[in-house]
Amino acid sequence: MQSFLEYLKSNVTPGQAGDPLWALIYILIIFGGVSLVVMSMNWLERKALAHMQVRLGPMRVGPHGLLQPIADAIKLFIKEDIIPEGADKLVFWLAPVVIVIAAFTVYIVVPFGPTHAVTDMNIGLLFMLGVASLATLGVIMAGWASNSHYPLLGSLRSSAQMVSYEIAMGMAVVSAVLMTSFAGGSGFLGEIYGTGGANPAGGTLSMIGIVRAQEAQHIWFVFKFFPLGLIAFFVFAVAMVAETNRTPFDLPEAESELTAGFHTEYSGLRWSLFMLGEYAAMVAVSSIAVTLWLGGWLRPFSSWHGPVITLDSYWQGGAVDFVFSLFPALLFFFLALVGFLGVVRMPKHPLFRVQTWGLAAFALVLGGIGVVLLAPPVRDRVQDIFWFTAKVAVFMYLYIWYRGTFPRYRFDQLMRLGWKFMIPTGIAVLIATALVGVLA
Amino acid sequence: MTASQVLRKIFLVDLLKGLALTFRYQHPKEIYTEQYPLQRPQVAERYRGAPRLNVNPETNETLCIACDLCALACPEHLIVVSSERNPNTRRKELTNFTYDLSRCMFCGLCEDACPTDALELTQDFELASYTRDGLIWDRKTLEEGPEPTVYKK
Repeated sequence: MQSFLEYLKSNVTPGQAGDPLWALIYILIIFGGVSLVVMSMNWLERKALAHMQVRLGPMRVGPHGLLQPIADAIKLFIKEDIIPEGADKLVFWLAPVVIVIAAFTVYIVVPFGPTHAVTDMNIGLLFMLGVASLATLGVIMAGWASNSHYPLLGSLRSSAQMVSYEIAMGMAVVSAVLMTSFAGGSGFLGEIYGTGGANPAGGTLSMIGIVRAQEAQHIWFVFKFFPLGLIAFFVFAVAMVAETNRTPFDLPEAESELTAGFHTEYSGLRWSLFMLGEYAAMVAVSSIAVTLWLGGWLRPFSSWHGPVITLDSYWQGGAVDFVFSLFPALLFFFLALVGFLGVVRMPKHPLFRVQTWGLAAFALVLGGIGVVLLAPPVRDRVQDIFWFTAKVAVFMYLYIWYRGTFPRYRFDQLMRLGWKFMIPTGIAVLIATALVGVLA
Repeated sequence: MTASQVLRKIFLVDLLKGLALTFRYQHPKEIYTEQYPLQRPQVAERYRGAPRLNVNPETNETLCIACDLCALACPEHLIVVSSERNPNTRRKELTNFTYDLSRCMFCGLCEDACPTDALELTQDFELASYTRDGLIWDRKTLEEGPEPTVYKK
């Protein structure tokens, strides 16, 4: 109990503190949070996509369809779970499990804040990319075990696509890792980061270390060696969409050609596991992009800082820090305001009465969260999570936006883009980054 | 390819244009979908829907003079007007009026033929019925509109 409470005062991750209990708590919070994000993404995607297509989207279940994901989840739970006659039962059963496990294991090293990560591995990034690519295995297993032609074609496409985009992704990632070892970086890990297994003199693969490097170099890696960082980020941002099988690269599940691709034969709960895995993977790759190029948990203009950045004074700061720390609360107040406007604009029809009260209660809850976030201890502890989440949220919106805008690539176009443009660009950026880094 | 085309391709101008377009369409005022049962759609002004037999709003007497012109005008012969002569006033008086909606094509010729504006095709479009008989409207239904069917257990 004593050591359990002691941890709250420390400034390390549970992994570094060697505290399995806190690690478990972190894992449960992250699991619950990501599941919640997946559910709300389901609603947001349907809603935003509908608005882009001049439709309303879900409107019936709850105010503005807010309870639609819950209704969907209940429907999927009670649906019949079909295993095709000729299917390889074990592999068929294993495939969605592999995808979900691969998608969620990645979150062990995602740094939501300097201390808000389950653990900080010295090979964090490598671990993340490695585990994330395991999802391909799940897709291939699903396609093979279904004993059906559409899933098989879908999984073939998926494996070809993922293998070719993984390389471009790797090149972009390596150039960002290279940047951690450059100007302003030498010795920073020893100064502000301390342990973690990374070599204090050189670069690091640790997710927390990479953000620390951006902090020490006073620049997000998108802007470093302009435009090299930007190009690497661009290559990653495109490869990331292809990795998660989203439009315009959603060939493995192209509904117009392959029904639903690799998960055609799946139904009910298993099918929803695929969806869970897909959205969790989207959040995971987005958080890699945010960590590597967009400064992770660092707020915008993080170099305008109060005192010198050391771990002891990290939570203190000047006026700029104060203003930026108000952002989370202000966001929730804004959302509550939007909710109340929705209440006022709700049709005055008896059938809408329950919905109106529900929306008002939801807006009140949002406002309440905003008030809690104003309290100084919460405010300081939560703002890094907020900035990380906000950056990831931008990526999630981009995913929806792409889906609402771009038509699907043909398979040969996809391969041409991957091999003839993405990989050469990735290698060129890597070489250029190395040259500029050594010469500058 | 000219230089401008190359630049267009490198900076993904066309893709960005597409993104800007879908972004603009997100504005709530662009939404075209109606929430039908709760929100009544505005049908066109000259829309021809459910027939109605108009009554004089003050005396509640029918405007129909039982001249039978609508029945003659109807290409489908789906209107049957029955009347009897009032011995006191020597005028024809309407007794029943049936209108078979299941055969109606809403051409509006009956409406045009009516000399007193008694028969009118209204803008009401909800004409579904569970039976064929339900589509044959008598005088009461035509004057007061169809009533919802009540089912008993």
